[in-house]
Amino acid sequence: MKNMQPWTRRNFLRGLGTALALPALESVYPQKALAAGPNSEFPLRTAFMFVPNGMHMPDWTPRNTGSYFELPKILSSFEHVKRDLLILSGLTHDKGRGNGDGAGDHARSAGVFLTGVQPLKSEGAEIRAGVSADQVIAKAIGHQTRFASLELGAETGRQSGKCDSGYSCAYSNNISWRDEATPMTKEVNPKLVFERFFGNQIPSEESESQARRKLFRQSILDFVLEDARRLEKQVSYRDKQKLNEYLTAVREIEQRIERADLEKQDRPDYLTEFETPEGIPSSYEEHIKLLGDLMILSFQADVTRVGTFMLANEGSNRSYRHIGVNEGHHSLSHHQNDPGKLAKISEINEFHARQVAYMIQKMKSIPEGDGTLLDHSMIVYGAGISDGNRHNNENLPIMIAGQGNGLIRTGRHLSYEFETPMANLLLSMIQGMGAKADRFGDSTGLLRGLNG
Amino acid sequence: MFIKHSKATVKSATVILLVAILMIIGICEQSVKADSTIFQQDITPFLKQYCYHCHGVEKQKADVNFQTLPPNTEIYKDRDLWELVRDLLLEDEMPPSKSDQPSAEDRQRIIELIGQELDQFDCDAISNPGRVTIRRLNRAEYDNTIRDLMGVDFHPADDFPLDEVGYGFDNIGDVLSLSPILMEKYLNAAESVVTNALLAELPPWPPSRQHQVEKFTADQDDIVRAEGSVMGFYREGNALKKLLIEQTGEYKISVRAHGQQAGPDHAKLELAFGDDDKYVIDVDAFADRPKVYAIQTTLSKGTLNLKLSYLNNYNVQDHPIAELNGDRNLFVDYVEIKGPINVQPPSLPVTHSRVIPGQPEPGEEVAYAREILSPFVKRAYRRPATEDELDRLTDLVEYAMVQKATFEKSMQVAIQAVLTSPHFLFRWELDPTDKQGDDTRALNDFELASRLSYFLWSSMPDDELLNLAEAGLLRDDDVLSYQVERMLQDPKSDALVTNFAGQWLQFRSLDTVTPDPAKYPSFTPALRDAMLKESELFFTEIMRSNRELTDFLDADFTYLNETLANHYGIEGVHGDTFQRVSLDASSRRGGVLTQGSILTLTSNPTRTSPVLRGKWILEQILGTPPPPPPPDVPMLEETQEAALSGSLRERLEQHRSKPDCATCHEKMDPIGFAFENFNAVGQWRDLDAGFQIDPAGTLPDGTQFEGATDLIAELKTRDTFVHSVIEKMLTFALGRGLEYYDQCTTESIFKKLTDNHLKFQALVKAVVLSNPFQLRNQEGNES
Repeated sequence: MKNMQPWTRRNFLRGLGTALALPALESVYPQKALAAGPNSEFPLRTAFMFVPNGMHMPDWTPRNTGSYFELPKILSSFEHVKRDLLILSGLTHDKGRGNGDGAGDHARSAGVFLTGVQPLKSEGAEIRAGVSADQVIAKAIGHQTRFASLELGAETGRQSGKCDSGYSCAYSNNISWRDEATPMTKEVNPKLVFERFFGNQIPSEESESQARRKLFRQSILDFVLEDARRLEKQVSYRDKQKLNEYLTAVREIEQRIERADLEKQDRPDYLTEFETPEGIPSSYEEHIKLLGDLMILSFQADVTRVGTFMLANEGSNRSYRHIGVNEGHHSLSHHQNDPGKLAKISEINEFHARQVAYMIQKMKSIPEGDGTLLDHSMIVYGAGISDGNRHNNENLPIMIAGQGNGLIRTGRHLSYEFETPMANLLLSMIQGMGAKADRFGDSTGLLRGLNG
Repeated sequence: MFIKHSKATVKSATVILLVAILMIIGICEQSVKADSTIFQQDITPFLKQYCYHCHGVEKQKADVNFQTLPPNTEIYKDRDLWELVRDLLLEDEMPPSKSDQPSAEDRQRIIELIGQELDQFDCDAISNPGRVTIRRLNRAEYDNTIRDLMGVDFHPADDFPLDEVGYGFDNIGDVLSLSPILMEKYLNAAESVVTNALLAELPPWPPSRQHQVEKFTADQDDIVRAEGSVMGFYREGNALKKLLIEQTGEYKISVRAHGQQAGPDHAKLELAFGDDDKYVIDVDAFADRPKVYAIQTTLSKGTLNLKLSYLNNYNVQDHPIAELNGDRNLFVDYVEIKGPINVQPPSLPVTHSRVIPGQPEPGEEVAYAREILSPFVKRAYRRPATEDELDRLTDLVEYAMVQKATFEKSMQVAIQAVLTSPHFLFRWELDPTDKQGDDTRALNDFELASRLSYFLWSSMPDDELLNLAEAGLLRDDDVLSYQVERMLQDPKSDALVTNFAGQWLQFRSLDTVTPDPAKYPSFTPALRDAMLKESELFFTEIMRSNRELTDFLDADFTYLNETLANHYGIEGVHGDTFQRVSLDASSRRGGVLTQGSILTLTSNPTRTSPVLRGKWILEQILGTPPPPPPPDVPMLEETQEAALSGSLRERLEQHRSKPDCATCHEKMDPIGFAFENFNAVGQWRDLDAGFQIDPAGTLPDGTQFEGATDLIAELKTRDTFVHSVIEKMLTFALGRGLEYYDQCTTESIFKKLTDNHLKFQALVKAVVLSNPFQLRNQEGNES
């Protein structure tokens, strides 16, 4: 019953301990905003969207701070939702820097993006980053929906070779980490996302009653859990870690089966009208759009409240012919300030932003109560590297769309003090979503000013 | 030395050998040479002067503390750290620019000393087979295992998320993680597999068909007519139907009928199957309880004129005996024809009968389930099932049957459980819990069989391997050598081509390259496929025909179809089918380095990249990857204006003149430039942007070469190539990255190989017979 108390400033202080600097408290979330709290009418959703290889910062950062600013070139497609954006300049991921680990900035920048933890440099012997913010949130509120979280990506991983010097591809291909050793594999195929979240993916469904099938599946899960428990006594160290991944995964599925019972059988119109995707569209743009639609759909249907979406893997060298860029993105990002290359990078950045703008506009067009789905969401968009040429991790390109049930005062551009940890934003969002955490990664406190 | 000697002479006496190894490990652990003078006298003072203030007792940046290292530190034991230290020194990244810098000579001296020390260890003293983390089946392994276990080949893993890559391969135990989404896919895949392979219920036998008589033709409508769902016969009359009999044989014919009884007799129904094949049925049933009457007869294949006749109408209303008044009518419901009844049931799908060969008698289902699950589980878990496992599985079968599932359906449930069990999804090498204090143990025969089959087939062991394991015969050098030969000849070893070669030479990535269609319109999907096929067939021949490793670099043959031959400008190849083509000097091709696949995937979309090609050869062929460039590296100009200002080579040479870049580019660029005569999709050319191509160059050690052919001939002679292949194959075979102590293994494999003319199969055998492949460290010994 304790956590049913209204969210008062005093509670908040107690929870945070003394590490927090006072000015941050000015922006303690109002009672109404508490994500899954008793007073919020609509659940709060959050997604983290990621692009690789940094950003052409002069075309990303608005010239003015505050409420009166003009959208720079890259963000121009956000014109209609400008008042729903909060652009955050000056945030830093210090743990994405070398800090003695040498080369591998690309892999690190993805590994640190949602964790704030220096990824362990390893090609495979021991993969270790931190638990990512979305997974901290998913662990706290995931039980309220059928799926704890959704992980999407519009680019498959590499089939062979290396991704970045000395780092396993696991770092470059994932931003979501369930625990420090287990990346949450992302789904690339829209068809499979749809089937998993909304569809009837089970073969031979018609031949057998739902109830009996569920019963059998449950007994199969019981059986294999027992196998795993018996193995637990015989294995050590790394093997145990792998076995734990297995145990966790099986338990999560069990919980999901239980939760599925609680759901209404009726499908809302927007769900029945959604056309089942056929697979991975050959057009990259279509692919991103379709995955974005699915994320929105899963928020709308409240199938999950937490998502991550990698528009491309870190270090991606795909070319963007459909917008006239024939060179690979990563090669281009080492631009040496060549105006021609900078222009092309800016084009790629603008292309990606346009896809995000489409999603944000779509979320704004979905009414929920007096507001819209966007009003009840916080969508973070950005990169783990600032300038692709310098591989620097300060002044990252980061923005949030959506007012997040009042947590975020949008329509502004804020510029933070040099070296303000990005982890402070992640911590603020973790708390805002209703998860308990006093610190996160290399956070030094909450991020000031999100609420005005 | 002693180890080698005993191995050669007492081949099959594995026990003796094992004891010998274990003894030596025990002895040698104490006698490791403690030649610490270099670390103490030379390296330590350097660290003290330049490194301690950040990596010492006061601060431990990046968790590194040099200050507390003991004076007898053997740096080869922490290879990762010291290689990093060496590389950072080499790249001038450490000490950081704001700190005191050592002189260039001092820096160079320490770099060399670290290199020396890294190589400084004694193989007689170090015998650590390493420890492989349990490996989850990756996508290819899952598909192949299901194929070989169940006989269904429908690639359920296509929907699985991609496996992460470590050390260049996607079968590395530490890297293969299992997320909830993958677990869910395993569950669904198991369900698909059993529904594809096994019947949930057996089809009824013999086949039977019911024919509704009201649909028959009456010969007189007013006498015989349909009444609801039955045919009513109101006076003597017939109902006729033509039926097709598919097979001659004995049939059982059942008729459901009743009478509206009246008079002294029951209604009589005649069934006629022909003029002289008639049966009269005395229909004694009443309307409230119709009966089924059956007869048996022989029917011939072809059209059957079935006739139902009512024989004894009775309609008397004025009989003195009241009971004999009445109207007798006949009503017929259906005719069921079942058969032929005296033939064997048709065979069930092979995939079903190989798992469930028979049908248990009622009441014996559970015992039968146990009987057939035992061999199945042995194959699925790649070791015999335990009694406890069989108990729990048969419990599951029993449970499903209590839920009113058929026996077959219940077996499906149990087999789904097997296919979802951690014992199936992971390859376990469980150490005995009562181990006797030894660090190392030999793998048991079943573990060895799995290592072998997943190495060469990316799949489960077949019956021959499992039988050898069961008989305890697998752990014998001659048996293993023979098995390697057998397995490589089996088509299943195609998996070694797609999984090992595809990742070593990286041609698996060919489907992600995107040459600019405007510049390279000839690069069609068909050409891409042909390039891949060429490399696969080429590797396959070296593997199956046991050719020399150097053939990878320089062979006088390849495989081409018309599309690819035209692309290469080689004449005389027609059609889509690939054929073996002999190459002579005029073709300017031979070996993987001149194959379209490699040349294309080491190019940029719009141009060749000598740097990428050079780097690729250093990494994949010579096993000496250059360190990565610093982030702020100037990239090559590729605008039109730049192209006019000089050939690509001249431009790269300008770039190389910067000292920051020179060290590495002096290694990469000349190698890459040797292949400039091949454009970004592997076609021969003499000019680039109007400039004559000059493929000649000099390697850092001063070796000069005229062009690609010349360079290849030089690379062939280098031991580093053979070492590189050994390291890649050992990594793939073990599923772990190599450690400092593996250097002894790669050395001994190298010796065996050179003794065997560098034959491909000698390499595979040497890997299979090596200690890391056959033994395992029971302690989590990693530093």
